[in-house]
Amino acid sequence: MKGSLTQSMSWLHTWCGLLLGWMLFAIFLTGTLAVFDKEINWWMQPELSDQALSPAAAANVAQRWLAERHPDETNWNISLPTARAPDLAVSVGERRRGGGGVTHLDPLSGATVEPRETIGGNFFFHFHYTLHLPRTLGVWVVGFAAMAMLVALISGIIIHKKIFKEFFTFRPAKGQRSWLDAHNASAVLLLPFHLMITYTGLAIFFLLYMPAAVNALYDGDRQAYFRDAQSGRAAEQAPRGEGRGSKAVSAPAAPLLPLSEIVGRAEAHYGQGMIGSLAVSNPGRANAQVTARPVLGNRIELSKGEGMVFDGVSGKLIQAPEPSRTSQLTQRVMAGLHFAQFGGYPMRWLYFICGLISCAMIGTGLVLYAVKQRKQAKANAQFLRVVESLNVAVVAGLLLACITLLWANRLLPAELAARQNWELRLFFGVWALSWLHAWLRKPLSAWREQLLAAALLALALPALDLWSAQDTLDVMRLSLLASVASMGLLLGWTVWKIPTVIAARNARSARLDRPAAGASS
Amino acid sequence: MTRSAIQSRSAWPAIAARTALALLGGYAFTYAFTAALARLLPLDPVDAVTAASLLSFVVYLLFMLWAFASASLRRVLVAVGIAIPLAIVGFWPQLMEVLG
Amino acid sequence: MNGSALFASLLLTYAGMLGFCLGKERHWKQLVNPHVPTGLRRLCAPFGGLLLGLAIYASCQVWPGGMAVVGWFGLISLAGFALLLLLPYAPRLALSLPLLGGLVWAAAALT
Repeated sequence: MKGSLTQSMSWLHTWCGLLLGWMLFAIFLTGTLAVFDKEINWWMQPELSDQALSPAAAANVAQRWLAERHPDETNWNISLPTARAPDLAVSVGERRRGGGGVTHLDPLSGATVEPRETIGGNFFFHFHYTLHLPRTLGVWVVGFAAMAMLVALISGIIIHKKIFKEFFTFRPAKGQRSWLDAHNASAVLLLPFHLMITYTGLAIFFLLYMPAAVNALYDGDRQAYFRDAQSGRAAEQAPRGEGRGSKAVSAPAAPLLPLSEIVGRAEAHYGQGMIGSLAVSNPGRANAQVTARPVLGNRIELSKGEGMVFDGVSGKLIQAPEPSRTSQLTQRVMAGLHFAQFGGYPMRWLYFICGLISCAMIGTGLVLYAVKQRKQAKANAQFLRVVESLNVAVVAGLLLACITLLWANRLLPAELAARQNWELRLFFGVWALSWLHAWLRKPLSAWREQLLAAALLALALPALDLWSAQDTLDVMRLSLLASVASMGLLLGWTVWKIPTVIAARNARSARLDRPAAGASS
Repeated sequence: MTRSAIQSRSAWPAIAARTALALLGGYAFTYAFTAALARLLPLDPVDAVTAASLLSFVVYLLFMLWAFASASLRRVLVAVGIAIPLAIVGFWPQLMEVLG
Repeated sequence: MNGSALFASLLLTYAGMLGFCLGKERHWKQLVNPHVPTGLRRLCAPFGGLLLGLAIYASCQVWPGGMAVVGWFGLISLAGFALLLLLPYAPRLALSLPLLGGLVWAAAALT
């Protein structure tokens, strides 16, 4: 490109950041919320309650229920109560993605519980890596955005000459200078986080994004690659019960060991309370097997699907998880760093706050572009209008849509048919309205009104819960309410500051003969 | 960006070409490079695949940055062209099979 | 979860970042006083580094192994960001936070 490295990288940073920034903000915001996806799930199904029963006892309750209702099924799945998801759930047959056919049980009485159907916190998780597009397309689009993020990060570092000098520099209430300071500071101080989270995000679907090596060395046969990768880990797939599709082959009947036994043995390896689920194949038969899968969190390495396989009749350990080979360990640690399932709540909160600051980095960048363009006489007015309305719609609008989802969860009747679709409609409907509003109103008014709406909804959420669902409140749900209310305060403070900003800006332009020209650094 | 609007309008085809070369050409280069690297690494196939694939994002990133920083578009085109010999290295066995 | 160690690592990372900050003339003037004793100022950054090193030790009491390093990086970033926000709005608090926090930590540790 004509011009110096700084000039070309500055151009690249601006355009890459602007055009992909809207998508990246949505990815980062929903990703940040997904850190607490299970907690949000729990809040969105107030019919479920935490009976504080041990997983072992809960396993027996589930076993009793399944033995009564589904004695002839060849596959049982039990989702045990854990610290983040204290509910007990069972399902039979094939383990389908999406969680259909799941029955919730009260861990004390063994009776079925019917919580309201909801898209839950999982919605944020899936939106984060697919943008609600069909899975493969969505994953590719997000991957493309992730590469753009890397380009923006490195080009940003290259052009930030005073990176060390201005490390702690933040000068508020100075217009464009303040936006630049905020953008720089949130980017530089969290640089390790930004680089890590973006790269590890790509590392999760690495074979999808770059199949070249598999194509070259395995002729594209990904299954052969996976077989080579985990030769000792056949427990990736829980042993399937017989009779699937083919003629039922029955082994002689034999009583299934009480599942609490299995849980106890698995806990000896993984730790107390660290068993997330049990998969039983051929229950009640001599060839029964139970796979105990751990809750993620003991180490950074993402060990999804790993488990210990026990004989269902004798309780003997058939297969223990094997340590991964180095290359697999590396990829799994990278994935684990992104999934943030380790380190308990302190780590989770670190990720959450860092995620919010990342959103602020992207948001300030988007606003900085608009503020800069506004000052330039030669700016393309139509394009600027699109940019400014998109800024409001993506930043304030998405925030508003997210808090609306929480409200919708409480206000929509629990027995409403196709309830999940209604929650989706409200989410996307509010988001679409926010763009319309942003298009029709002047930028500063649009910002103020949408942020105010989001702030009010966030601050009022605890009141809504106290009024409608107070006996379901436990520590987790109260924590969620407190967090949402705090964010409401933060949004409210931002709205309160806007008139001050306008006043300062008017004072500045009144003092000068003509608007300050172009870029400052 | 303070370059005048007139300049940037006439630069659109050049910008589009460079962007295409960076994005698509860059991906092609990275694809071929990853295959070649996996082929050449003295590791077990599964480890070579993992290492090369995980590193590919850095390669793609650096290529794209360089493509936009490079003074001449021609140089970028040549660089994309290097994908061909790299692909030959990476897909040598498959090429041998096709050639009989 | 070792709350005391977590609080300690937070304080140490903040103090460390404050050290780096005070090492710069501009911020020394902003936080302490317009007269900058060069010798003392130049010690701030290395001292800050030392505190960050201590913070890793504290972090290891909160999390095992590699997680401690991840947590440490996160704490450094967030402590730095907190310092950045305090500088323009509450410079005296920015300076006195390590001392105040230290007193709180000691009080909690003794009870």
